[in-house]
Amino acid sequence: MAQPAISVKDLSFSYGDILAVDDISFDVAGGEVIGFLGPNGAGKSTVVKMLTGQLTPQNGSATLLGMDIVKERKQVQQEFGISFEFTNLYEQMSAVENLNLFAKLYKVANFDAMNLLEKVGLGGREKEHVANYSKGMKQRLMMARALVSDPQMLFLDEPTDGLDPVSTETIHTLIRAATQQGTTVFLTTHDMVEADKLSDRVAFLNQGKIVALDTPARLKQRFGMRALKVEVERPNGDIEVREVTLDEDQTPQTVFDLLKNERILTVHSEEATLEDIFFDITGRGLQG
Amino acid sequence: MNIQRIAVLMGKDARLGATNFMAVYVLVMPVIISLLIALVFGDLLAQTPRLGIYDPDGSEKFTRPLLDHPSINTTLYDSDAALQSAVERGSEELGLSLPAGFAAALEDDSAEIDFTAYRWGEAGVRNLLLLESALARAMTEGIGTSIDQLPVTVNAEQIGAANTQTWSQRLLPLLLIMAIVLGGLFFPAASLLDEKKNRTLVALTSTPTSLLDVYLSKTLIGFILSGIMGTIILLINSAFAGQVALLLLVIALGGLMSSAFGIVLGSVSKDMDTFLGIIKAVGILLYAPGILKIFPQVPEWIGRLFPTYYLMNPLLEVSQNGAGFAEIALDIAVLALISVALLVLLNSVIGRQQQKLALET
Repeated sequence: MAQPAISVKDLSFSYGDILAVDDISFDVAGGEVIGFLGPNGAGKSTVVKMLTGQLTPQNGSATLLGMDIVKERKQVQQEFGISFEFTNLYEQMSAVENLNLFAKLYKVANFDAMNLLEKVGLGGREKEHVANYSKGMKQRLMMARALVSDPQMLFLDEPTDGLDPVSTETIHTLIRAATQQGTTVFLTTHDMVEADKLSDRVAFLNQGKIVALDTPARLKQRFGMRALKVEVERPNGDIEVREVTLDEDQTPQTVFDLLKNERILTVHSEEATLEDIFFDITGRGLQG
Repeated sequence: MNIQRIAVLMGKDARLGATNFMAVYVLVMPVIISLLIALVFGDLLAQTPRLGIYDPDGSEKFTRPLLDHPSINTTLYDSDAALQSAVERGSEELGLSLPAGFAAALEDDSAEIDFTAYRWGEAGVRNLLLLESALARAMTEGIGTSIDQLPVTVNAEQIGAANTQTWSQRLLPLLLIMAIVLGGLFFPAASLLDEKKNRTLVALTSTPTSLLDVYLSKTLIGFILSGIMGTIILLINSAFAGQVALLLLVIALGGLMSSAFGIVLGSVSKDMDTFLGIIKAVGILLYAPGILKIFPQVPEWIGRLFPTYYLMNPLLEVSQNGAGFAEIALDIAVLALISVALLVLLNSVIGRQQQKLALET
């Protein structure tokens, strides 16, 4: 079996009396996108901080690309890029200056800032002070900064939080492009749609514990309901919505009757969302 | 520690510092003050030269041209004691105490004339030259001969000379402290606080760059600025004299002390307001030796209670009194000890700062 890109074993961290991360263990394969989902305060950012060397775990251990996150911290940091939840760019410098600075810190040879800025859609505004950028532009620049060293691993903390659809789509495209090149992505978000769209697997984090970890499809299968929502038009012109559960004995007959006797307007699958599943498992929503 | 990364960070800090109002203010301010002092107490804005004369004969032959001179203020005194008192308190910059029969003696080629000239200790060079020139002209006009043939011997006496310094000299210590300490202290602290506020410090330390690299780059920038500022202030005040290597050594140690102190303060301060609050509170302790030097009557031992004394004193000793290494060795030792203590403190601060940073973000 190939060595996992991320391997976490019994990791814990407390802020004083508050247990932020409670004895979690998981592996992430190389090239996989793992979505870490949970409400604010669930412990997502603490996990990222420990894995990226900002915080030293109080218990447990973890390796990134086979390197110990504590003992080989600086070697580990050479191998990943990170985009933070908050904007932390040098705002009095231009985008090119920001990227060149980090390329030098990563000791990247022959770095082409313009090429990267074109990819994130900031070409043409590369010489402006970052302070003049919109939130979406700053977030795209943060994404570009995370990609400066062409890393094997990306940590993305709420990369599209509060962004407009265009900026969000740009970032999603960049994430997909990175994964196609084999980059492992550790994505923390409370946007279920984003996680569903991008992640190979998602982990639900609640009160510092991983309460579920699987592919979005399997989680939906396991926790969701299989049903159809059908809109039919009655002879008097009224529209009626019918729900057809798929796993019952009479389902084929029900569907047949609908097709034969009713004027069907629309058919939708009634798939559970990740948000529904999270709620089912934890009894709380993701925004809480 | 990685030298290449430290150099990259220094370049970034220099680039950002040039647009940081606080940093520019702190660097430019001592230079402006220094230039202002040179203007006010130096030659450019010197007041009209003031001359006092005591002439027991009351003859106007010699004094009239001086009283009528458009470029000097001349006052006559009734007694030698009154003249001395006026010079002592600075009312007159030069006082001439003429002997009896002075005017008549001037006309007698064979007579040898002695008189006393009292010089105020703080009189500017420009004014003294103007007064001497006016006096020489008055004498030659009085006797109708060339200046080379004047049969006059002047006994110059500086009143209160032992303790009197010019204002430029008195203010130089304070300016030196401001330049070296503020230059070295403010820049690293302000830069670090900016990085903390904008959370760029977390971005930097999430790369292979260590917190030690970041701290060292800022300390070095402060150190360099401090050295440049100290040298500029000495140059502006014509005090970059004596053993230059010794001056540079003291400035370097002072720069190290200031920048290490700055980075420690920047590290323990929550934000810029807290830092400025601390500076306001402890600023008097930093400036105290410089302020005390303005008042020469204050005993020297009081200044020795403050750390910046050991930066200021050797600089003054070397530049103004021509002291060598042996004379300032003790001061240098104390300065080096303070710098080492601050570096040890800095090392302990770095250890705690990394975890604190992650918790704050």
